[in-house]
Amino acid sequence: MGLVRRNAEPEPQTMGPGDLLAQLDDPDPDRRREAALGLEAESAVEVLLDRVATEDEPRVRDAMLTTLAAHDTDAVAAGLAVHLASDDAGLRTGVAEALASMPESVPAIIPRLLEDPDHDVRVMAAMVLADLQHPEATTWLTVMIKDDPHPNVVASAIDALLPSLGPEHTELLERAVRRFPDDPFLRFTVEAALR
Amino acid sequence: MTSATAGTGLTGADFEKFRDYFYKRTGIQFSESKRYFVDKRIDNCIRASGYDSFAGWFGALRLGDKPALLQELINQLTVNETYFLREDYQFDALLNAVLPEVLKNRSRIPGPIKILSLPCSTGEEPYSIALRLLEEWPHIDTVDVEIHGADIDSEVLARARHASYGERSLQRVPKPWVAKYFNLVGAGRYQLDESIRGAVTLHQINVCDTATMRNFRDFDVVFCRNVLIYFDELSSRRAAENLYGSMRPGAYLFLGHSESMSRISPIFTPTRLPEGIVYQRPTGAK
Amino acid sequence: MTETQPKVLVVDDAATVRMYHSTLLTEAGFEIHEAANGLEAVEAALGTAFDLFVVDVNMPKMNGYTCVETLRSETVGTPAPVIMISTEDRPGDADRAYAAGANLYLVKPVVPARLVRISRMLTGRGVAA
Repeated sequence: MGLVRRNAEPEPQTMGPGDLLAQLDDPDPDRRREAALGLEAESAVEVLLDRVATEDEPRVRDAMLTTLAAHDTDAVAAGLAVHLASDDAGLRTGVAEALASMPESVPAIIPRLLEDPDHDVRVMAAMVLADLQHPEATTWLTVMIKDDPHPNVVASAIDALLPSLGPEHTELLERAVRRFPDDPFLRFTVEAALR
Repeated sequence: MTSATAGTGLTGADFEKFRDYFYKRTGIQFSESKRYFVDKRIDNCIRASGYDSFAGWFGALRLGDKPALLQELINQLTVNETYFLREDYQFDALLNAVLPEVLKNRSRIPGPIKILSLPCSTGEEPYSIALRLLEEWPHIDTVDVEIHGADIDSEVLARARHASYGERSLQRVPKPWVAKYFNLVGAGRYQLDESIRGAVTLHQINVCDTATMRNFRDFDVVFCRNVLIYFDELSSRRAAENLYGSMRPGAYLFLGHSESMSRISPIFTPTRLPEGIVYQRPTGAK
Repeated sequence: MTETQPKVLVVDDAATVRMYHSTLLTEAGFEIHEAANGLEAVEAALGTAFDLFVVDVNMPKMNGYTCVETLRSETVGTPAPVIMISTEDRPGDADRAYAAGANLYLVKPVVPARLVRISRMLTGRGVAA
C-alpha cells in the first residue's frame, strides 16, 4: 500500500470516425459527449449540424458546439445562425457563444442578422458582436445603435460597444436616447457610458 | 491626488475598461486598490509591445490577433513562480475534504486512487502531493494512490524526472521532510529520493488534444492550476471537456486560486469547501 | 439601530444592465452583488446567502433558466425569491421561468419603481426608502 507507480503507459484507444459516429447514438449522454468532442474532422460537420438542435443534453450539445466552432467555415456559421431564433435559451446562447469565436466566417452573415425581422435575433447578434474578435465588430455595433428600431437591440449594442467606447461615439449615443425618450434604461446606460 | 502612473498614464476610464476586459477574458478581478500594481504592469506591456498609447495597445489586445500580447499581460499580472507546496491550502482541501469523499464513494471501485497534476511543469506540484500524502494522510498505509504528472513541454518534464531543486523551491518544505526525502547533490541542490521520483508517473501531453487525452481515464482528483487562463475561448473549452473525460463521475477538479470555471464551461458542478470552490464531474444521479 | 440590508445578486452578462439594476436597488436600500453569467451566480450563491436574485435569461456559459434550476437544486438549494428579467417576450417564456423555479418573470425594459416595489415585496422587508 502507499504510492504506486503505473508502469505501462495507458493503453491507447484508437477510435475511428466511424466508431465515433456510431457512438453519437449511444443512450449514455457521456458517450455521446465524447463522440461529439472527438469528431473533429471536416467530414463530421454535417452530422453535427443536423443534431445540434435536437440533442437535449446540454453537455452533449456544448461539446458539439465546441467541435463545430473550431471549423469556423461558412457552412458552420450559416448552419448555426438559424438557431439564434430558437425557443431553447440554452441552444441560442450556446450558438451565440460559438459564433462569437468564429471571426473568419461570421462577418459574412452579420448583415443578414442585423436585418432579421425578429428583434430577439438582433439582440443575440449584438451578443455575438460583443465577443467577436474582428476589426469591423465595432462598426456593426454602431450601425445597430444608429438604425435599429428596437430599444432592446440598441441597448444590447451599446453594452457590447462599451469596452471600445470613445469620445467619437458621444453623438451616436445621445441620438439613441432621443430616439427612445421613454426608455429609462437606455437613458441611464448612455449617461453612465458618457460619464 | 496626482496620477500614479508615469509614461502612458492610464485614465480612470481606461482602467475600468481594462479591468472589465481582463475579468471577462480570464475571470481575474482587480479591485481599485490594485490600481497602482495593474497600471505599472500594463505600462510594461505597452512599452514591451512597441505601442505608444494605451488605446493602440488595448485595441490590438482586444482584437486578439496577436496572442503574444495577452500572454505577456497574463505573465505580468500573475505569479508564475513554481515551488513546493505552492497554494498549499488546496492540498489541505485534498486531504481534509476531497480524499475522504473519494474513499467513501469508491468502496465498490477496484484499483488505486488516481491523482493527476496537469501541467506539472518541473514536478513541484505532483511531488508536493506525494509528500503531503506520505506525511499527513493516515490512509496512505492502507490505500494505493497513483500520482501522475503531465505537461506539454518535454524539457520541463526531463527536469521533473531528474527532480533536483534549489533551496528557494524548497523553502516551504519542513526541514524534517527535506532530510527524509531529499539528497544533497551539489551546492544548494537537493534531489528528491528515488522512492518518490519513481512513484510518480510523468507524461507528455497537450490538454487540448482530445485524441491523446482520451487515454487518460478514471482520475479521482485533477489539479489543473494556472493554465486555462492562458487559453483562448475555444481552447479552454476543449481543455475543460478533455479534463472532464479524464475524470470519474464524482471526481474533483482544482483550478488555480484566482481561476474559475464560470468563464469557461458549465460542464462541472461547483462545490464549496472550507478552503474554497472545487469542481466535480457530475455523477449523473440527480 | 442598524437593520441588515437584504442581499441581492444581480445576474446579467450586460455590464450596463448590472449597473442599472444595482443603482436602482442600492438607492432603495439593498446590498448588491453582481454576477456576469449563470455559473458565476451559482458560485456566488455557494458562498453567500442571498435574499433575492434578479436573473437575466440570455447569458453565455449558463443561461438564466439553467441558473435558476441550479440555484433551486441540491447544488445550491436556496429558497430565496428569484425575479427573471428578459428581453424575450415569446409565448411560453414565463412558464419556462416558473418551471425553473422563478417567482416572477418580467420583460425588459422594467420601470424602475416597479423593480424596487417588487424587490421589497419579495424580500418581505421594510426597506427604508
